[in-house]
Amino acid sequence: MPDRLCSIQSKDSGLAVVSIPGGASIPKRQLLETLQRQISSFAGNLTIRGVLLTGPPEGFCGSATERGSVPYEAAALSEMGQQVMFGLEKIGKPCIAVISGECSGLGLEVALACDFIVASHEATFGFPSIADGLIPCCGGTQRLARLVGKSKAKEMIFSGEMIDAGEALRCRLVNRLYKGDELLAKARELMEHICSRSPHAIRVGGDVVNAGYDIDLQTACMLERNAFALCFSSLDQREGMQAFLEKRQPKFTGE
Amino acid sequence: MPYKKLSIQVTNRVGYILLDAGSRFNKLSITTIRELKRAFAQLESDPSVHVIVLSGYPGESFAVGADIGQMVHFSPADAFHFSELGQSLFEQIECCSRPVIGALNGIAMGGGCDLAMSCDIRIAVETLQIAHPGARLGIITGFCGTRKLPRMVGKNMAREIFMTSDPYSAGEALRMGLVDRVCGMDVFWQEVVGFAERVASYPLAALSASKRLLNAAEDTDLRTGCLLEREASTHINSLI
Repeated sequence: MPDRLCSIQSKDSGLAVVSIPGGASIPKRQLLETLQRQISSFAGNLTIRGVLLTGPPEGFCGSATERGSVPYEAAALSEMGQQVMFGLEKIGKPCIAVISGECSGLGLEVALACDFIVASHEATFGFPSIADGLIPCCGGTQRLARLVGKSKAKEMIFSGEMIDAGEALRCRLVNRLYKGDELLAKARELMEHICSRSPHAIRVGGDVVNAGYDIDLQTACMLERNAFALCFSSLDQREGMQAFLEKRQPKFTGE
Repeated sequence: MPYKKLSIQVTNRVGYILLDAGSRFNKLSITTIRELKRAFAQLESDPSVHVIVLSGYPGESFAVGADIGQMVHFSPADAFHFSELGQSLFEQIECCSRPVIGALNGIAMGGGCDLAMSCDIRIAVETLQIAHPGARLGIITGFCGTRKLPRMVGKNMAREIFMTSDPYSAGEALRMGLVDRVCGMDVFWQEVVGFAERVASYPLAALSASKRLLNAAEDTDLRTGCLLEREASTHINSLI
């Protein structure tokens, strides 16, 4: 397992395509540490405007099953995993999970912490480790239930069965499906399109969506008012609205 | 006081608020928002009104956000006040004792999308174009959309809509749960009127109580919600 994940960066668009090499022999902790290093190197890097997370067709973030942990080891892994997922959620730039094959266990937890998921028709999703008596530990139970509803999340976690791409689309786990051979190209196209929008608005909007989701409407609206007002001190707001009035494409700087 | 940006009519217990702000898009200017607040208050004080329909029919648009020509010069304080005004309208619509049906007759973008989400039910015409183009303009929405859209269509779909800023079709909106019904252009208004009149034929006390309880269901825990339901139903169901 390398220190950094294999990443290809397209300089022109500022797009980072990160391929996470998983496998049944890789311990979860090692995979999480590598992911964490990669996330923190992206978070402060202003030249990177968007991140696509991919993996080999055999499995997205595949990792070894952790049997025989003692409680403090399990607690430490869960704490670390949850921190890594929070870090991924707060990366401050658009991040899409691109799933071409199996996305299970830790892989699904990572995908759930991205802004959203796109997949090929061959993709499958699930938490099969219930058969070994293991439950998700990196925020997966909470993010899955919020995304697909409590019943669907229970069905998936209790049964451990993998669902196919069509069902994942229907239950809103996946936003878009593409043909297998077009998946990465389409995902890049979508991300480049998103990167043409205001980075400042996307960053602030993402924060407000996350912060507002679990609190009452009144408080969420107060947060939103403040964030909305903040946008009017940004260069992106001036540029975006000027460009709209002049009927031209805006050139956002994210400031 | 007469209205400049909209008109009101009451037929068969249904109060119609029809936006006609003088351009293709029904921009939610400060004047339009103030008139909407006044119109909702007026219809709510009319005991013959059981249901309110909000629409831009027969125009091309339901509504869009503020006039960009004005907004481009907003200071953060202007933006804060504008957001406060818009949010107070939406709170008024949600707290209004009558069911409010949004009849989405065409373009609903930005603030117009948020206006649609503050209605209790949304019926869309098949040519609907619905979007949140804030990220294209360098802003986020300030009209409760960051909270309501994720609850309505799921967090991931909401993030996609905000990030792409692209318009979505009636079919897509129906699939993601952003609208409840879609009608063909030729039957749209007939369906809206038919649905509104059917709802309006039911007792107002039952409609108002269900609206209050369903709104409460979102923000209260199940036990408290059931307690509220028990009290309301004891009162409502025993008057029959």
